Amino acid sequence: MTTQSANRQIWKRKLRLIDRCTLRKTIGLLVLPSCILLGSTVGRAQDDLRAHTTAGYVPVISGAFAYIQNTSGGVQSLVPQIVPVLLAPMGHSLLLESRVEFTGFFQRENLPSEPFSGRFAGKVYKTVDYAQLDWLADSHATIVAGRFILPFGLYSERLAPVWIRNLQDTPFTYSIGTNPYGAADGFMLRGIAASLPSASIQYSAFMSAHSSTNELQAIRAVGGDTSFYVPSKRVEAGLSYQRTLEGYQINNEAAYFSWQPQRASVDLKAEYDRNHYGDGYWIEAAHIPQQFPVAPDFFRHVQLVGRMEQFFVRNGGGNGLARVNEQRPEVGLNFQIRDDWRLESSYGRLFSHNGNSNTWNFGFTYRFIWPLWPGRKS
Amino acid sequence: MNDQVRKRWLLALVASGVCIATLVAATGQAVPAATGPAHAQTTAMAADPGEKIFAANCARCHTPPMTLNPRVTGTILMHMRTRARLSRKDEKLLLQYLAP
Repeated sequence: MTTQSANRQIWKRKLRLIDRCTLRKTIGLLVLPSCILLGSTVGRAQDDLRAHTTAGYVPVISGAFAYIQNTSGGVQSLVPQIVPVLLAPMGHSLLLESRVEFTGFFQRENLPSEPFSGRFAGKVYKTVDYAQLDWLADSHATIVAGRFILPFGLYSERLAPVWIRNLQDTPFTYSIGTNPYGAADGFMLRGIAASLPSASIQYSAFMSAHSSTNELQAIRAVGGDTSFYVPSKRVEAGLSYQRTLEGYQINNEAAYFSWQPQRASVDLKAEYDRNHYGDGYWIEAAHIPQQFPVAPDFFRHVQLVGRMEQFFVRNGGGNGLARVNEQRPEVGLNFQIRDDWRLESSYGRLFSHNGNSNTWNFGFTYRFIWPLWPGRKS
Repeated sequence: MNDQVRKRWLLALVASGVCIATLVAATGQAVPAATGPAHAQTTAMAADPGEKIFAANCARCHTPPMTLNPRVTGTILMHMRTRARLSRKDEKLLLQYLAP
């Protein structure tokens, strides 16, 4: 017994040593190349990017103010919104960025005599869309840590900001791949895998942990997105996949397409999304009549938008999606007063098994970009 | 959804497509080249490589930005490099174009 216990002690000590050595080696293997890569990228970035440019790198507060008056099925809602975006660079390879949405939602109160006929009442909701640290590690790779928007499809990451979207109503399938919180807490690797004059391939891959912290909630999930872009034709096609790893573990899939013909100022976008609870698509076309025969200077600021979307329920729907089949054609007319001011209007007709209704939106957005302090030029 | 409703929607979709195509054909002839970010979205044939990058990548999602203060251009492009998944070469060309 004594010999056995002595042997056990010796083996334990050996294993402890091995563990320590392995741990040190692992840390060394991870940290050393990271430091070399970080140092080289910082140096190279500074050498490359500072050449022949007056660009500065001061912290920036950007974002938008928006006000939308929505009428859906005869019920009026007032939706003011402030969306500040903070950008704080640290050197030329690290960027801390965050976007928060403050959205007011006000409707007329119900009165005993008549619904929605009282005074306007509501509250302001705040959401942390993202709060992330970006390390521009390499020409083809950026490592993101923190809370970030789920890279799924065309809409959630790229078109959802209020100052970018052409129509204020989000598509029916917006919840697919973004439900329930729209963001992930974890790590993401993204960038451009191949960049040639004829074509490029872009990618994102992420893993998210569970978080129940107030305003930073997230669920466990993994996923990725890849897209293929042909610059000469200005055509892009992409695929997204995501698997949630808690609750009902489901797959979310998306396929999307985008085309901006060079000879006409038209922007065509389409996306198909699918998960366990439903599937659907939207197709959107936007056109700026730049060469309109009458008053071209005026019509250059006008944008005509049309969108058609359909949603089909699977397995009872729900989870952020409708529980009945729906379809909605929608048209919009936007006017760009200045680069930063835009007037918006749209009309849509919802056809649903629960009843048909009209949707009207009128409003404006103001886009701003302000330096936080007067830094010197780089 | 019955077949009649489906057909009606298909017809509406085709009609909308025809209307948009007619509108584009009537008004959207080739746009002459212009300079500056404000015109970049329509000038993919531009000579400036930075302008080409701008037209091909940035204009995919949003209209051209307001005139950018050179002090913030570097920061904005770091943000857009992450968001739009641009390469370092693209970022450099855009910097030279937007803040020469």
